[in-house]
Amino acid sequence: MIRFLTTLLLLPRNAGVLVLRAYRAVISPLYGDVCRYYPSCSAYALGAVQEYGLVVGSARAALRLGRCHPWAAGGIDDVPHKRKRRYTVTPFGFVIAASHGKG
Amino acid sequence: MDLLGTILWPLKWVVEALLVAFHSLFSVLGMDYNGGLTWVLSIVGLVIVVRAALIPIFVRQIKSQRKMLEVAPQLKKIQDKYKGKKDQFSREAMSRETMDLYKRTGTNPLSSCLPLLLQMPIFFALFSVLNDAQRSQAGVGPLNDDLAKSFGNATLFGDAPLHDSFASQWSKMVAGQDFNAVVMWIAAIMVVLMTASQFITQLQIVSKNMSPETKASPMFKQQRIMLYLLPLVFAFSGVAFPLGVMFYWLTSNIWTMIQQFLVIRNMPTPGSEAAKAREERLARKGKLIATDGDVIVVEEPKKPQRQQPVAKNRAKKQSGPKK
Repeated sequence: MIRFLTTLLLLPRNAGVLVLRAYRAVISPLYGDVCRYYPSCSAYALGAVQEYGLVVGSARAALRLGRCHPWAAGGIDDVPHKRKRRYTVTPFGFVIAASHGKG
Repeated sequence: MDLLGTILWPLKWVVEALLVAFHSLFSVLGMDYNGGLTWVLSIVGLVIVVRAALIPIFVRQIKSQRKMLEVAPQLKKIQDKYKGKKDQFSREAMSRETMDLYKRTGTNPLSSCLPLLLQMPIFFALFSVLNDAQRSQAGVGPLNDDLAKSFGNATLFGDAPLHDSFASQWSKMVAGQDFNAVVMWIAAIMVVLMTASQFITQLQIVSKNMSPETKASPMFKQQRIMLYLLPLVFAFSGVAFPLGVMFYWLTSNIWTMIQQFLVIRNMPTPGSEAAKAREERLARKGKLIATDGDVIVVEEPKKPQRQQPVAKNRAKKQSGPKK
């Protein structure tokens, strides 16, 4: 039951992950390597949605896009991790309940 | 007004103002007020203003590329460290260190996606201006009823309206109705030209302006695939977009092509083939500046001819002003 609820809870962010994966596969290569940060904005958005969910993650990604302009210094700018991480990420990027212990 | 319309409103206003300004300029110069060519040239003018406004961003990029020469040894060190390591973690660590180096030295050669993001709404704004003009609807600002009608009815070569697209004519043709072959021809030719210009731009970068390290990266292979997929994208959009929007895109592509050519010629990526070609060109003219600021001159073979000795007074006369 808890497992089912967790899956339901994670559904929006996994939908976001799917969209971002598609974007990174199809649209990102169109204009090549342009981002002044590492990870690039779309990779940051992916990480943020995985870590914080669709709403907060999208907001963080939007802030990052705002930071990324030709006059920014750039450099390394990782998604800040939550102190307590409750989920694991599949190789594709989907977020699932951790396989060990309770979700 | 919907959300998208609200966001686009100021941009639409600017696009209309520029179009109308160029249109009245060309009309004053004696061109046909309702002519398709006049409106096409107005679109070209719009592109020139937009792209010229983006030049400062480009110049900044070039300047940091120039500074890249200074950090080239450090960059080489990072690349050597990860040479031959193709697994994901090494790649990531390499990108990380490279990005850190860029930040520390202020030499980030990448321009961020802002220039691209900025152009997209302009593109959409032009699209919706044309779409409204198609129904001879007045725009949100300077494009009044009268001008919108003129824009909406403007035709090229007698009967190819700027608001028309290949797709709309195609559906007419399939339905067995009267269709406009001129529109289809113009759209097809523009798709070919657009593809060609994009191809040349990409090929210039790929074949001349890339360091061997970049060529070995997986990102490069992805870009290579895109080089061959883009024509499909253009063919698809060329079918759906009105001719007027296509003119914007085509002009913008040509601008990019020329800009890229000039940059590759004068400010190539260090280590690339274009950089070597430039060094050779400069060395031939004796203008090559080494990294420490000395001018490197290619030794000219000394002429065996002996200089005639000249008396002091005569020498003065010779170097003096000629009469």
